[in-house]
Amino acid sequence: MDSVHDDRAGGAATRVVPERDLLPLKILVAGGFGVGKTTLVGALSEIPPLSTEQQMTSLSDGVDDVSIVPEKTTTTVAMDFGRVTIDDALVLYLFGTPGQSRFWFMWDELVRGAVGAVVLVDLRRIDDCFAAIDYFENRGVPFVVALNGFPGTEGVDDDIVREALAVPPGCPIVHVDARDDASCTAALIVLVEHALARSA
Amino acid sequence: MTVDRRQRPQTDGGRVVPNYAFTAGRTRSAAGTDMPIEALVTATELGVAAAATLSPESRAIVEASREPQSLAEIGALLGVPIGVARVLVSDLAAEDHLAIHLPLVGTDGRPRRELLERLLDGLRAR
Repeated sequence: MDSVHDDRAGGAATRVVPERDLLPLKILVAGGFGVGKTTLVGALSEIPPLSTEQQMTSLSDGVDDVSIVPEKTTTTVAMDFGRVTIDDALVLYLFGTPGQSRFWFMWDELVRGAVGAVVLVDLRRIDDCFAAIDYFENRGVPFVVALNGFPGTEGVDDDIVREALAVPPGCPIVHVDARDDASCTAALIVLVEHALARSA
Repeated sequence: MTVDRRQRPQTDGGRVVPNYAFTAGRTRSAAGTDMPIEALVTATELGVAAAATLSPESRAIVEASREPQSLAEIGALLGVPIGVARVLVSDLAAEDHLAIHLPLVGTDGRPRRELLERLLDGLRAR
């Protein structure tokens, strides 16, 4: 499958994407402050995590009441990100996104075209993750819930976690050490497998 | 002999379909606000040749983009918000100093299946 020389015989079905046809992909890493988003991005990234700012237009408070014409406000949000070169043309970007509930409705632009999301969770502070789980679930964005292995959180039964966090059926729960490249890579593999299963 | 490159490209009005929906993920025209933060930019030969005549920030973008850079990386490099980087990159692309490589998404707005499979292969090989 590596050979592309005999492509006349292969036909369109086995066509390999031409070399140097650069394509970016992105995965979002969501979670509350201090949960380890930047650590996870840094463990995977081939460059030191960079920070960038994005101005986002958001709705003001009271967003649940759609009968009210909302006022718009502009908020600047800082994001850490990293890069993983996948092959000679495919480049994956990881964006760490703040998970406070008041930000989540701003992410429509950010999630467009994303492979999916990793919702990073500290089991000692689970309040931070509900908004992210709701958001991705409602938008139909594939995601996995990744439990970062903080001290004292080992050995918690996944079924209890699923119930406590209201993780939807079929949404994978994985255990990660956000400092460890292999552990984080494994979580991304589960996410992509999940996204593939849903795209079938 | 400095040239003011700050003129904005003419907006061609009324485009509502994202460029990447019909350009197979690639365009050399100004992608405007449709350019997502992961869009990759590469310097063209024209851009490299013209680099010395460009404004300092444009020159920095072109020089950095000898290797592919995302819009997010351009923003971080210059220390400017994504929106500013997007305008600078659009200007340079409109003058063929940069090529823009946009994500390839299906009709459902998600990356196409074959890209997910390539991503999976790449991650498993790490």
